[in-house]
Amino acid sequence: MANLNIDSVKDRSYDAIVIGSGISGGWSAKELCEKGLKTLVLERGRDVKHIKDYPTTNMNPWEFEHRNEMTFADKQENPIVSRCYAFHEDAAHFFVKDKEHPYVQDKPFDWIRGYQVGGKSLLWARQTQRWSDFDFEGPQRDGFAVDWPIRYQDLKPWYDYVERFAGIAGDKDGLPELPDGEFLPGYPLNVVEKYFKQSVEKKYPERKVISARCAHISKPQPIHIEQGRTQCQNRTLCQRGCPFGGYFSSNASTLPWAAKTGNMTLRPDAVVHSILYDKDKGKAIGVRVIDRNSKEEIDFYAKVIFVNAAAINTNLILLNSKSERFPNGLGNDSGTLGKYVAFHNYSARIYAEYEGLSDFTTAGRNPAGGGYIPRFRNLHKQETDYLRGYAAGFGAWRSKNSDRSGWGEELKNSLLNPEWGNWGVGSHMMGETIPKEASYVALDKSQQDDWGIPLLHISVDYDDNDAKMKKDYLDTMEEMFTEAGFTNIRRDENSQAPGLDIHEMGGARMGHDPKTSVLNKWNQMHDVPNVFVTDGAAMTSTSTQNPSLTYMAFSARSVDYAVNELKKGNL
Amino acid sequence: MKRREVIKQMFVMAGGLLIASSCDFSGKKASIALQNIDFSADDEELLGHLVNVIIPEGDSPGGKSLNLHLFVMKMLDDCASPEQQEAFLVGLKKCHKESSNDDAKLLAYLKGLPEDDQFATMLKARTLQGYLNSEYVMTNKLIYELVPGRYDGAVKINA
Repeated sequence: MANLNIDSVKDRSYDAIVIGSGISGGWSAKELCEKGLKTLVLERGRDVKHIKDYPTTNMNPWEFEHRNEMTFADKQENPIVSRCYAFHEDAAHFFVKDKEHPYVQDKPFDWIRGYQVGGKSLLWARQTQRWSDFDFEGPQRDGFAVDWPIRYQDLKPWYDYVERFAGIAGDKDGLPELPDGEFLPGYPLNVVEKYFKQSVEKKYPERKVISARCAHISKPQPIHIEQGRTQCQNRTLCQRGCPFGGYFSSNASTLPWAAKTGNMTLRPDAVVHSILYDKDKGKAIGVRVIDRNSKEEIDFYAKVIFVNAAAINTNLILLNSKSERFPNGLGNDSGTLGKYVAFHNYSARIYAEYEGLSDFTTAGRNPAGGGYIPRFRNLHKQETDYLRGYAAGFGAWRSKNSDRSGWGEELKNSLLNPEWGNWGVGSHMMGETIPKEASYVALDKSQQDDWGIPLLHISVDYDDNDAKMKKDYLDTMEEMFTEAGFTNIRRDENSQAPGLDIHEMGGARMGHDPKTSVLNKWNQMHDVPNVFVTDGAAMTSTSTQNPSLTYMAFSARSVDYAVNELKKGNL
Repeated sequence: MKRREVIKQMFVMAGGLLIASSCDFSGKKASIALQNIDFSADDEELLGHLVNVIIPEGDSPGGKSLNLHLFVMKMLDDCASPEQQEAFLVGLKKCHKESSNDDAKLLAYLKGLPEDDQFATMLKARTLQGYLNSEYVMTNKLIYELVPGRYDGAVKINA
């Protein structure tokens, strides 16, 4: 029996464990496997194989039972996820339904999740703007959170590295606030987006409108072909999973690459309960998993553990990893674990029409989505009555409309012969929010989920800074729209709860000082040297840029460091 | 949990009302299986006339031959709230009474309804949704591209 047990432990032992297979976990897995480590990748959801498990990907609109609408019963059952823009008949199977994993909203928070191999990398909006030192220096300059322990130069080579592999389309814009990268050709702005760019940049030279950079293969390179991916075909049906591998996802890119090394063991349906800590060794020794279906408990062991469960679930796992040494959660000597959670303020939009350039339209579809306005507020110095600032999306589109007021032959004729309308234009804000101690996630003391893991409380809200920034965004955009001659301007202040931006960050922040942060400059736990966190939980501040690209760079950089440390015998 | 039970009860109540208000002269059921609404064969026939009145047959197929009446029934059944379903059935019942299956009379009846009439609004919206998203229209009239393979941001319109 003793021998059997030893064998069984051996069978469950790896060099490395990665918790989560989404955008950051996929990168951790790829890097660990390429460096020769036998790596177990744990995913709480079901398996989703590239192409094979994209059931709706080639469906035409008329082939959807409800023409892509969700049913009334679905909406009633799922008020939270129904608020997500991509939760429709074509992609609903990639979203977690409300009742599948409940949580406690101390304040309204829409927690949007994708539990499957690939996680939300199948569903993301694919925007990939780099951070700059204007972002990394923010907390120190403006006196909030703690100083980032890294600067742009620390991350730059890793941005280069992940961009080349993932495939990022973009223009070289030469902007210090949004550094250029290793780009494939960018997607063009359309005529009205270009017109707006000229109008804005003429009147406000410090404001820029550029083509949004995105994780689409605009021109495949040998490294993409080698992954089995090819050129983006401009379908913009990405949320269904792409049969061309035209956009970056774990499923299309990093996971198959990791599998090819022969070093990866992927275990779906593995809900991580906690990380196991050995007081005598002074480090983590493994991970406790509850099988999603059988509810069986299994422990796995490894020398190094990467936590990539997505920001909030990473917090949940760390908080639930209690031991004699860490009674309040793994690596939580600082007492900051679960705190200083922040997000992006996406609560305002503005729309208008443009009567000019009426002899132009567009053809095909733009996977980049149009224009991007990098943050210009408070960039070089503090100049408003609120801290930090916002980036903004900007897009223009032309569509044909038909008069639907009639009946019969007249109506049918009108429907089949639509006429060009004005250009429509729109923008949405992406505001930086300030991480605060009062914005936290915490374990419930009595309620548990189906796997015996405490339910999570989420207590995160907008503050006065967010309200002032939102007003400035709307006023400023309205001014720029008016300047450009746009008409019928409509401000949409219809606030959404935090979380719906799907950019939740923090809780296990990086910092110089173990007394005020959870991770060091290598995304390594100050208190547990063989545990690394390289997803959104690590974020000290939020900046305005869509964060996934930065998680990819963190993952690759951190694995490189961890493997070197392992070789030196330091872990 | 409480809210969910209330919603469930609403379904039950509404379902009861619906069966009562559904016209069922012949006792025959509709040709498609539905979850919530008990449409009769007569309802289906009337809806067939109504979608044809909205999108008539002509050089190209109309509502009935594109099975838009079945689409309207399906969408009402799955995607409308119990209140909307009830309002639709009340409107359908009135329509049965006042204009039978005579297309000219039905057109006059629809045109005569107030602009905010719930029944007519839902009927028209679902009919148009089904029409514009039909395989026929999307492959023959207003062509849908599944795989555009291009993006051009400045295409001159030939007036």
